[in-house]
Amino acid sequence: MSLLDISDLTLDLPNGTRLLDGISLGVEAGETVGLVGESGSGKSLTARTVLGLTPDGSALGGRVLVDGRDLVAAGRRDVLDVRRHAAAMIFQDPRAGINPMRTIGDHMTETLRLCEGKSESEARARAIELLTAVRLPRPEDHLKQYPHEFSGGMLQRVMIAGALTSSPKLLVCDEPTTALDVTTQAEIIRVLVEQRASRGMGMLFITHDLNLAASICDRVVVMNKGRVEETGDARRVFSAPQADYTKRLVAATPTVTGSAGPVIEIRDASAPATSPVDAPGGDAAGPVPEPVAAPTPLERPDEASAITVAAAPADDEPILAVAGVSKTYHLRGKPPVHAVASTDLRLARGRALAVVGESGSGKSTLARMIVGLEEPDTGEIRVAGRDRTIVPKSRQERIAHARSVQMVFQDPYLSLDPRITAGRAIEDALRLHTELSTTGARARVVELLEQVGLGAQHAQARPRTLSGGQRQRVAIARALAIEPDVLVMDEATSALDVSVQAQVLDLVARIREERGLTLLFISHDLAVVRRVCEETVVMRYGEIVERGSTVELLAAPQHPYTQLLIDSVPKPEWAPEPRRAEASA
Amino acid sequence: MTVSNNTLAVEVMRAPKLKPANATFGIAIGVISVMTLAAIFAPFIAPYPPDQLDFAAVNAPPSPEHWLGTDGLGRDLLSRLIFGARTALLGPLLVVIGSTVVGMLLGLIAGWRGGWIDAVLGRIFDVLFAFPSLLLAIMAVALFGKGLVAPVIAMSIAYAPFVARLTRALIKAERTRPYVAAYRVQGFSGPWIALRRVLPNVTPIVGAQSTLNFGYVLAELAGLSFLGLGVQPPTPDWGAMINEAQAGIVGGHFLPALEPAVCVVLVVVAFNIIGEELSDRIGGEIPA
Repeated sequence: MSLLDISDLTLDLPNGTRLLDGISLGVEAGETVGLVGESGSGKSLTARTVLGLTPDGSALGGRVLVDGRDLVAAGRRDVLDVRRHAAAMIFQDPRAGINPMRTIGDHMTETLRLCEGKSESEARARAIELLTAVRLPRPEDHLKQYPHEFSGGMLQRVMIAGALTSSPKLLVCDEPTTALDVTTQAEIIRVLVEQRASRGMGMLFITHDLNLAASICDRVVVMNKGRVEETGDARRVFSAPQADYTKRLVAATPTVTGSAGPVIEIRDASAPATSPVDAPGGDAAGPVPEPVAAPTPLERPDEASAITVAAAPADDEPILAVAGVSKTYHLRGKPPVHAVASTDLRLARGRALAVVGESGSGKSTLARMIVGLEEPDTGEIRVAGRDRTIVPKSRQERIAHARSVQMVFQDPYLSLDPRITAGRAIEDALRLHTELSTTGARARVVELLEQVGLGAQHAQARPRTLSGGQRQRVAIARALAIEPDVLVMDEATSALDVSVQAQVLDLVARIREERGLTLLFISHDLAVVRRVCEETVVMRYGEIVERGSTVELLAAPQHPYTQLLIDSVPKPEWAPEPRRAEASA
Repeated sequence: MTVSNNTLAVEVMRAPKLKPANATFGIAIGVISVMTLAAIFAPFIAPYPPDQLDFAAVNAPPSPEHWLGTDGLGRDLLSRLIFGARTALLGPLLVVIGSTVVGMLLGLIAGWRGGWIDAVLGRIFDVLFAFPSLLLAIMAVALFGKGLVAPVIAMSIAYAPFVARLTRALIKAERTRPYVAAYRVQGFSGPWIALRRVLPNVTPIVGAQSTLNFGYVLAELAGLSFLGLGVQPPTPDWGAMINEAQAGIVGGHFLPALEPAVCVVLVVVAFNIIGEELSDRIGGEIPA
């Protein structure tokens, strides 16, 4: 008998919306099954039904057998019993999933004391044992600590230990590493895999990251819009996908290994005219940007040799020159934080430079200093020969400042004014920076919208009626309206689904092609950087630890931290070792 | 591709959807509308002039001639209530407008600029909070004389800090949002962003809160009239009417005092319902 057996599961909201439609999947003991899909695919909802966590008033159909008990028909008592003994869940955000007012010890022992009636000392011993199992350094001390004293990665270990207290046979993990840095993710995954193996648990692992699923799952279930698109052996699904949706998803997923070029070709070849990815609910962008006919940046022959490492002396004046820039934050009652420490960057016109680092590496602070949202403590930032560190006083200075650098922000849901329509947002920028008449500006707005793959009909749309990908396109159009010398993209695709991300990356590549735009691309994701930028710098603790051409840096990282970063990126077991990947990609 | 574009355009067009109105909210709107219309068209709908004495019917109970009865001087109560609605509604309206305008501007300055300006304005608000608004109004009457003008100005000043404090908190939250940074990066000036873009985004929430103030101000102004410090007789005013009818209560004629009191309660409750419903619908979280 399998541990988890879901067959023909349906879930309807009271208003008649069908969120899950005929889901069937199974998990055997000792097996890891990946549930992958983009946002809104219903993967989390499916996983939650396993523990009876369904939305209020929703109607379930079909069968969810957990350890032989049907949860669809189960009463309260059975559901409680499943939660106490059969299955446990790990949630995405450990900080939101743990009571901030109670100690770690309380969190760990209360289940044991309340559900299993263990004594204080028994529960404590068990808690210490579990905290040791998830490799926390000082279990005894941790019991007395509060959640705010822990980092995200440590808290997620606590959550895992907490889920293991009931010795579940099935562990449901809902995007357990999405909020974490890639090196931390690698550690958490190691703990999860270890525990699954030693306890012989079944694991249902939900993720949007195909590479991650490929690296740990035996079998995967691909979901899209409440339906199962494809089920099968992980290696088979990812290396030879059958369903169209899976093909597109696999193609859209950037990797750190292999060649970057053909990825885009596969995507275009397999994309039918109306792909589910483009339909409303996913990215309703409508027209997908034209297939990138030109070779990707990495393949351009003239640039393959022209690897101007940032520190190398440039023949001509670089368009962006950052010299000895530092920024230190002084927080009351805490040691000063050196966000950026004497950093140098040079970026030649028309090129793309990536700044890669984990959270707290100072990459965003650097970006904010370059666009003028923060003032550096020391050092010099010059864009097209103009000093950017002085605060603009007159209107002319302010506009000249804005013309030199524009920025696309991380979260398109927050970087657009909720009250202002897409067209108006672009028009505002045009009016400030050009002498266009009202009709001229309107015409230009439509032109710009079309350039980013939107249309005139989107000009009237407020941000909330647009999808994430559409909003980011509007943000890009707004930045392009000003025709800046340098465009800074600060994690501009990290809030987007992979297929949408691929579209936006294609768009950026196309605009670079057409306009010769100079790009500074801030990202935590090495695989994305690889698709966009010729040069890369790696930052850690406010310092640049390595710089060089993206291809070389990924193929032969010199600094141990870069090596760690690349090794931490999840990759399928069957993939070649990244450092042995051909540099000629 | 064209297909998906068209469906989107349709969605965009029908995007603003009103929530189904609930019954209480509808009734509250109805009450306020009727009162407002009555106040505006008082001379046309009141059955008698508000000051017309009828000594044949003093303290008369409701009858076909006088639907709500008469007061101690034989004046028609319905007519006096209708005319009384004018001062009863006008006063709070002016106070709400005055306090909202002043409060939003001060709150905007404090929240946007921060620093010492915020600190100084904050202390001034604290001082104003220490005075009950009624006390300020009485002081204003003592200085500038009785009537509607002095209390309205005093109450506007007394209520402005409430609006300012809310606006300041909202602006402070709003100015850290990325869209404000995006405007800055685009080269827009600080005052332009604050006045043209950020202030309109907080206005609905502040407006809904100000609606709640309307009821409180109305009750306080009626109280002032009751004390004889507000609108002066013979101008009909609900507070003043209760005051005038006090003597009659002992003689068993409670209607002339009860009716204006009921009107005050109706309007205050109606405005509270409207204000809370608006706050809920706008969905803005009120920061502390």
